[in-house]
Amino acid sequence: MDAFNLLMSGFEIALTWENLLYCLIGVSIGMMVGILPGLGPSAGTALLIPMTFGMDPISAIVMLSGIFYGSMYGGTITTVLVNVPGEAASVITSLDGYPMAKQGRAGVALGISAIGSFIGGTVAIIGVAVVAPQLVKFALAFGPPEFFALIVFGMTMVVGLAGKSIIRGSIAVVLGLVLAMVGMAPGSGVVRFSFGIPHLIDGLNFVTIAMGLFGLSEILLGIEQQMKKPEKPPVVKGLFPSRKELRPSLMSIGRGTGLGFFMGLIPGTSSVVPALMSYSIEKRISKDPKRFGNGAIEGVAGPETANNSFCGGALIPLFLLGIPSSATMAVLLGAFILHGLQPGPTLFVRHPDFVWAVIASMFIGNLLLLFMNLPMAKMWAKVASVPFKLLFPIIIAISIVGTYSISNSLWDVGGLLVFGLLGYFLKKADIPVAPVALMFILGDLMEKSLLQSLALYKGDFFAIFTRPLSGTLLALSVLVITLSIVAGFKSKKDNLVDVEA
Amino acid sequence: MKKLFSFVLVLLLVAGALAACSSQESASSKSTSGESSGTSENDDGKFPNKPINVIVAYDAGGGTDTTARTLQPYLEKELGVPVNVINKPGGSGWVGWTEIANAEPDGYTIGYLNSPNFASGLVNPTMQRGIDLDSFTILANHVADPGAIVIRADEDRFTNFKELIDYAKKHELTTTATGVAGDDHLVTLKLNQKLDTKFRAIQFEGTAESRSSFLGGHVDVLITSVGEAYSMHQNNQLKVVAITAKEKSSFLSDVPTVKEAGFDEIISQSTRGLVAPKGLPEEKVEILQDALEKAINNTEHQKKMKELGTQVLYANGDEYLKLLQQDIEDVKGLKDLLGW
Repeated sequence: MDAFNLLMSGFEIALTWENLLYCLIGVSIGMMVGILPGLGPSAGTALLIPMTFGMDPISAIVMLSGIFYGSMYGGTITTVLVNVPGEAASVITSLDGYPMAKQGRAGVALGISAIGSFIGGTVAIIGVAVVAPQLVKFALAFGPPEFFALIVFGMTMVVGLAGKSIIRGSIAVVLGLVLAMVGMAPGSGVVRFSFGIPHLIDGLNFVTIAMGLFGLSEILLGIEQQMKKPEKPPVVKGLFPSRKELRPSLMSIGRGTGLGFFMGLIPGTSSVVPALMSYSIEKRISKDPKRFGNGAIEGVAGPETANNSFCGGALIPLFLLGIPSSATMAVLLGAFILHGLQPGPTLFVRHPDFVWAVIASMFIGNLLLLFMNLPMAKMWAKVASVPFKLLFPIIIAISIVGTYSISNSLWDVGGLLVFGLLGYFLKKADIPVAPVALMFILGDLMEKSLLQSLALYKGDFFAIFTRPLSGTLLALSVLVITLSIVAGFKSKKDNLVDVEA
Repeated sequence: MKKLFSFVLVLLLVAGALAACSSQESASSKSTSGESSGTSENDDGKFPNKPINVIVAYDAGGGTDTTARTLQPYLEKELGVPVNVINKPGGSGWVGWTEIANAEPDGYTIGYLNSPNFASGLVNPTMQRGIDLDSFTILANHVADPGAIVIRADEDRFTNFKELIDYAKKHELTTTATGVAGDDHLVTLKLNQKLDTKFRAIQFEGTAESRSSFLGGHVDVLITSVGEAYSMHQNNQLKVVAITAKEKSSFLSDVPTVKEAGFDEIISQSTRGLVAPKGLPEEKVEILQDALEKAINNTEHQKKMKELGTQVLYANGDEYLKLLQQDIEDVKGLKDLLGW
């Protein structure tokens, strides 16, 4: 029960009123950052690091990590309400979250994701506290081949989002992969499809793609709809899921928690992977998969939970190995070092007060967020009932400001507009946009890890199958695809349900 | 209804306010280039008399950004005007560097150049850049981070640099790199070129990724920089066996340079220095160089940099230019090994 005592002393430090205040400031800023599309958590955290220079290291990290997980909460709000996912993981939330908002159930969607995020976040933190040291080995077992296999496995999950027509789904998938190819090739440094534009040397920016394809295109469609046949905004209904929905959503939250936590241990995973897997699992085991894409509450609860417990799990490689698993984590790592705390296996021994205080503050922060979000979910939900002629210009303005802030240049604003139009036409043609955004991220990760694996094995592709972890994952992927094909043949009616994003 | 509307308005205002800090900066950068199109005649002789923008070609919170923001107050003190750090990330640095090169040469826009990343971009035949080393006025170098050759703490095939090289002459070993012809990749290539070793570099996306693959045993040797490795070395999480610099690093006094370990000298380091657009009038160059020299050599600044694990290496304009030219020559000399 040593860990328990240490945790209690951590609470002692975290509950001092100034640390509580910093925690509150952190999560509030984080929420704001999450709500503003474009200004992602990593930029938000980085901008505030200088503010913490004069602070006690514990207070500084408490505040900065508050920004980090607070922004995860905030990101959900814009996604659900106006279909503007500010970060990768929220793309998945938009699949069912936005349809729920359209039905006037934005409050329910936000409520359940606040609850899910709280459970996912706190359970992951308990996991960090209890089993962290034992899990480091697992994190390091993931080399490039394992990573490649994991991404391939993730891609088989995208099949489930392909929509009602295989051809249309394939178009979306290929488009996503093509977009991912722009920029410098990993491994050789060859610059592809940059057309001499410096901005393209690094490839396209995900935020512009996601905001354009999802947010802006949705507004264009909405405007068109208004001109044809004006619709009243949906009436806001209650905040809590109906009793019938409660059990399945709690189950999804449970599954999402475990999934997110383990994914968080693997350095370099994008938070979109656990969210995508969680969504796909929920859809597969659901009795009525047709509901997914039309406002299924499990489709919001699972991925949102997975996303947040991913962040908790990601603390293990950060604390124990000094390996950040995302850009935001890298910024946090920088803050650690700036304040004289060297992450590594000895961090728990040398600075126990720090580690446990931060862990305790995350409990508190998650609780604060839950209290802030449940009542506010109702208020936020009302945004969905603002008349469209007021709402649309505001969303467009926020999106443009947000994309401008990515690199302080109009280039990204142009990208937003182009992808907005592209998304509009894709939706008109009934081509789902979610696979485009997901394949853009996964394609990039897959190419990189495949090239790394091939470089390790001097071009021997089949060597990837010989490693236990990667072999198992690849075998699973083959199995999933085979099952899908068999299922497709069995029922003449295509069982792949349309998920219009 | 009215309440709701005002609520949305507040939301918008907050959005604007949060974005304001960044947009303000770039607005001022625009206005400087606009005003100064009438060249220095309008400047009534005194330079500088308005804020100076320092462009950083990488994200806020990154290494170069931290370097710039640490120097900022000391540079402000020397110049007597505010200094703004502006992040223009993207394109592996080329977005920001192009922006510096294309700015008005009035001394109010300067920026950081990162080498050898810049050098390798210049040599890479698939990169269509449109700017060159001649597009800049070279002001001063600020920091230098030598390469570090690292093995695992529990490695039993070799325990020091000599054993590593002997082993690598007979066996193939994998090393890490974080970018084609980046500083770490160049270390591997130079070792192979000069010491006849059989290292094979695997490209990773960043130090976090390369380090975890190395610690997990997927890659044999970690090539990184002193700044990235020294604290983990002190914690015995890994072992730095040699550094690719002229002299020992003050952060790693127990680690020899390649030459001290008994081999031909190999020098590879990443540098960050300040440049301005070409065509900057001589008197302004002098004012800026003077201020930079004093700010960089300020003992308080150097102490802060040391706390951050960054090694300050002041070099004046001429020396820094030579350094950059040398980097370009080095990459050109490795063209065959790079397949360019």
